[in-house]
Amino acid sequence: MQRRLLHIFRNTPFGRETLLQSVYFCKKVKLELAIYIPKFAKFLMYFENDVVQVDLNRSYLTSPDTALMNASSIVEQGGLEAEFLEPKDFPASSLPALPTNFDYMACPRSISDRSSKIGFGHIGPKVRRLVNAARFPVLMPSSAYKEWHSVAVFFGGSAKTANALRLGLNISAACNMPLDIFTQVANDFRDTYGEAIKDSGLDGEVKSSVREWHTFEMGKLSDNLYEVPHDALVVLGTYGQSPVKQIFLGSKLERICAALPNNFLVVGPKYLART
Amino acid sequence: MDSLRRWRYPGAWKLFRLDDRLLLIVVGMVVGMCSGLASVALNRSLAAMLEWLRPFRHIWWAFVLPGIGAALSSLFLDKIMNEGAGHGVPEVIYSVSRHRGLLRFRTSFSRLISSCLTIGSGGSAGPEAPVVISGAAIGSSIARFFSLSDSQRVALVGCGAAGAISAIFNAPIAGMVFSMEVILTEWSALNIIPVGIASVAGTEISRILQGNQIPFVHRQFNLDLVDITACLGLAIVTAIASIVFSRTVNYVHHLSNKVSLPAWVRAGAGGCAVGLMGLFLPVVLGEGYPPVRAAIEGMFEHGLLIAGVVTLAKILATGVTLGSGGSGGIFAPCLVVGSFAGLTYHRALSLIWPQVAWTSEGCFALVGMAGLMSGVLQAPLTGIFLIVEVTGGYEVILPLIIVAAISTTICHYVEPASFYLQELLERGPIRRPRTDAGILANLSLKDLVDKDCIRVTQSMLLRDFLGAIKESPNNCYPVEDEETGDFLGMISLDDIKPYLLKSEMYDTVPIGQIMNIGPVVASPDDDLSEILDRMEAQYLSAIPLVAKGKFIGMLEKATVLEHYRQELIAQARHLKI
Repeated sequence: MQRRLLHIFRNTPFGRETLLQSVYFCKKVKLELAIYIPKFAKFLMYFENDVVQVDLNRSYLTSPDTALMNASSIVEQGGLEAEFLEPKDFPASSLPALPTNFDYMACPRSISDRSSKIGFGHIGPKVRRLVNAARFPVLMPSSAYKEWHSVAVFFGGSAKTANALRLGLNISAACNMPLDIFTQVANDFRDTYGEAIKDSGLDGEVKSSVREWHTFEMGKLSDNLYEVPHDALVVLGTYGQSPVKQIFLGSKLERICAALPNNFLVVGPKYLART
Repeated sequence: MDSLRRWRYPGAWKLFRLDDRLLLIVVGMVVGMCSGLASVALNRSLAAMLEWLRPFRHIWWAFVLPGIGAALSSLFLDKIMNEGAGHGVPEVIYSVSRHRGLLRFRTSFSRLISSCLTIGSGGSAGPEAPVVISGAAIGSSIARFFSLSDSQRVALVGCGAAGAISAIFNAPIAGMVFSMEVILTEWSALNIIPVGIASVAGTEISRILQGNQIPFVHRQFNLDLVDITACLGLAIVTAIASIVFSRTVNYVHHLSNKVSLPAWVRAGAGGCAVGLMGLFLPVVLGEGYPPVRAAIEGMFEHGLLIAGVVTLAKILATGVTLGSGGSGGIFAPCLVVGSFAGLTYHRALSLIWPQVAWTSEGCFALVGMAGLMSGVLQAPLTGIFLIVEVTGGYEVILPLIIVAAISTTICHYVEPASFYLQELLERGPIRRPRTDAGILANLSLKDLVDKDCIRVTQSMLLRDFLGAIKESPNNCYPVEDEETGDFLGMISLDDIKPYLLKSEMYDTVPIGQIMNIGPVVASPDDDLSEILDRMEAQYLSAIPLVAKGKFIGMLEKATVLEHYRQELIAQARHLKI
């Protein structure tokens, strides 16, 4: 069956931008688009060993009369056909459950309509829960529609980031765009990055497909992010960090998203790469 | 460092992988203890809140107290916890039947607080369903934490429910039976042992913290044949009361949903209405155990008419409290309504046949409780064992069995589903674990569909078609539009039979002319059990899967049955049946 991306539509100017981005992503990666127009301010997603309740803010319920028309017109202009999801599964009368058998899901960086939050790239805890529980990668579009012309993968040498690299390679091949790798070198792992790629069986593909491997040996990660092309789709992996670790050490993902205005594709710990 | 990291994933600890059954027993005990603690916490909080509000009960404006409590409860659930109101038990059954027992962690405490606000302020509801969902959510969360399998998670959800009921009623057998009969609906060895252990653990926690008390102490009853015969009539009365009870709660719920006011305003208004009823009939307020005790002990002073009015008023008050959005369960109201239905029936019998030496009215109140519980829940064993345990006596077991069985049967004729399942059936079919629907729900259409079958176009000539399918094992083939690729219909070997012996027509008949237009199709979003029903009704051995007008693949009945068999074997192996 055709691979699909799930998009939660918000009938606001910000929502329009994210849908435009999803349409663009689907066209580039050759996906089908499934759109859910929320009728309730929350929904559940049942994953293999977790259930995530997504609490939307009121902006997701804006002008329900025009939501379908606006979403359809954006999709039509993009030259795609979309399937509009009507949830069948209701664990409580006002709490639908959405299916989770998608290959991608588009999600604003924060499920909030406050531009300050989106502008600063704050990743809400719900988005983090989704990323950690889902088998699919989560697309976090930039706050304004932006086409991308290359793929940038953040590779830290772990199995999780190897998954991100695998996904980046797939996407780069699917849309015929160059791929760059970015690595902030940690002293303990200075010589192990090549080994990690070999272990994950990606060395051949990396040699043939990667345009450039940027390694940052000096300075902080946030200082080096200027090197990332502004028009690249950034692919990165994330761990299911404990709340304590997040409070004291912060999250690398959070820091990268806060600094870059790009579109992101985030790979969670349960992501299974599909070829 | 690696050994430290392993601590983060307790599911990978060797200890938890030694023996699945032992693991389930140990974790079930922990779940039972946690559920017991949740029950005790709710019990204590309710007692404290009732005590705190007691001085205000006699003031004229006290009728707003249940309204304030219900509104706060609704606001708490809606705005703080982001959850909807509900009885609790249907959510647990739904999660077991549709989502392998997955429940949100927040549910483990949210309903305790919201039901405490509703019931403590005087709303007519019971604390049992909130502790059931709380215990079940604890079981589910612990199973998630230890990364246990789906069937183990479902068993732990049952353990949580059993521990909660056992602790709140100090009734371990009733807790166990409730969990098996209502929540899991599956009496397998895998479930019974951990659920039993959880019941014991929950009861012990309750006994340690609250003492070994039973809620309704009764006197000795002497039952004659005439009393047991009279119980046949009581069974009919409790069945009618059960049906009225279920329909009232559902009716008010649907009515309330039609009112376009915020949920907390509706809940508050409902609470105020109950408060007003409480000004005239205080017995309808709260969980209502004191009047039940009075009824069982034969201390209810008012006459037949008032007993009947209390029965109806309690039904209405519970309907308004729960239907308008208050938080709580129906266990305690069922006991109140059942006891007063029994009392009313006894008094009516005494009035009609004063010369007969009927047994004590307390006995009829007890039996009425079992009749109502069994009728509403359609779970006769739960009704029987609960009443036996909460009253501490077996001498009424015969009328209990008679009334519970007949009441359940009558209610089943009128309402084919129990109170809990009525709400769920509105949301779709229930797929119990290890039932046909449950097993089929575990199969993925993606794995069953044959996408490699030969596709033909409408302009293809018969000769070309015969050449194309020469070595194919299939009988049916999809016909697609050659330009758009849209699905047009099916062609089967039966369709071409009339032309097979007329070779002169091989080059003149296009497939579009003889194909079957508008065949029965399935969509990828359809339930597998629905698709099989459709195939059964049309005597089909295969059905095309079509999405957005495009053919996706063929679904063969034989393939589905083979996967069904494999899934059944896998589940049986996992359960070591």
